[in-house]
Amino acid sequence: MRGIRFSMAVLLSCGLLSMVATTSTSAHHAFATEFDAERPIEFTGTVTRVELINPHSWIHLDVESDDGTVTSWMVEGGSPNALLRRGIDRNTIPIGAELYVDGYGSRDGENKAVGVDMSFADGSPLFFGGTQRDN
Amino acid sequence: MIRRTIEIMGAVAVAVVLVAPSTLAAQSQRTAWGDPDISGYFTTSSVVPLERPRELGEQEFYSPEEAAARAAARLAPREGPPERDRGTRSDVHYDFDQFGLSQFQNEVATNTRTSIVTDPPNGRLPESVDAAVERREARNEARRGHEFDGPENRSLTERCIVWSSTLPPILPGGYNSNMQIFQSPGYVMIQAEMGDPRIIPTDGGEHAAGNLQQWNGVSVGRWEGETLVVETTNFHEQAAWRGSSKNMKVTERITRIDDSTVEYGFTVDDAETWSAPWSGVYPLAAIDGPLYEYACHEGNYGIANILSGQRAEEARQASGQ
Repeated sequence: MRGIRFSMAVLLSCGLLSMVATTSTSAHHAFATEFDAERPIEFTGTVTRVELINPHSWIHLDVESDDGTVTSWMVEGGSPNALLRRGIDRNTIPIGAELYVDGYGSRDGENKAVGVDMSFADGSPLFFGGTQRDN
Repeated sequence: MIRRTIEIMGAVAVAVVLVAPSTLAAQSQRTAWGDPDISGYFTTSSVVPLERPRELGEQEFYSPEEAAARAAARLAPREGPPERDRGTRSDVHYDFDQFGLSQFQNEVATNTRTSIVTDPPNGRLPESVDAAVERREARNEARRGHEFDGPENRSLTERCIVWSSTLPPILPGGYNSNMQIFQSPGYVMIQAEMGDPRIIPTDGGEHAAGNLQQWNGVSVGRWEGETLVVETTNFHEQAAWRGSSKNMKVTERITRIDDSTVEYGFTVDDAETWSAPWSGVYPLAAIDGPLYEYACHEGNYGIANILSGQRAEEARQASGQ
């Protein structure tokens, strides 16, 4: 397994970060019925599978914790149609790529999450957005 | 017509098409078999709201300068990373920009109208009749406390059955707001990207029997000069569009304006819901095809996750945690 970190300290710190205004846009469903605002997640994982499907994309990752345990996560994103229209397909994210995910875990406690902010581990943006981070 | 293209973030292009209101002569483009040619791929995205802001009264149009300024403001790209309110329900969402789904990242047709609704003259939907209010309250009451009992209690959109913006009348959607019109002798197919295709005979045939209900209704068409007129009835009683009844009748009027624009007009007649029929119109601007498959149901992990999340919450509550 590649050098992947899964830091519980980082997870817990998410709720303490600055509070700023936000806007939301209507979508296929209310994401707060699927994911838990009180279960923030933040990790870097290795991409194992990419599903650019509707109504929402899912990216599967293996995530290694500090003690070496590996867990498989699947992370939900947006409808892929606009990506496909611009020539982006599932091969755009190579299997084995390292992806940073900042989001929220599912309400059922499983290893599923919504990716609020996703980028490649080197800080470069995924698709057309994502915060460019300093490593 | 003013057409301009803005390059954003390298690969993403936004085309804003400002269409003068119904002053352009219809072109005499014809299919090989002689029908007016209204076919193509189009965006249904618009910055014009369905209903007019109340303060504008009966003002039907902005000046071209006002309309252009409003469109530019509405379609201004976000600067910097998304603002977030961490730990709140509103933050629990992916980033639309990241997936190219924001309106400014896509092709948008707009015009100088202040609303899509053109009749009543105030540009707003007529008042709901008492029967519509009672239907809505009965639906809400039946659902209250049972929202997560099973998939049948979730919305039709969440269940991948139908989006309200893809029913006739087709209206601007939040994303994937595109449609295709395809013609063959005697038929026209209309498909919104996130909807099912309607295959419409254009022989002016009779409407279906009253007891037949379809999610998108049943459509029959005819040509009136350069305009395709489509009447749709037989809606499903559960597919209530803003509380509409299954007896709603929608009349669409689709006319080629120029090489890159089709005008989409419609009238909604449902005496069991609104106090008067109401009408609207907006331009559809041509985009490059194809239309990408939506295939929502097959990948709808979300509906199972929503229900399993609620079951987990109920288990936590039952255990006193």
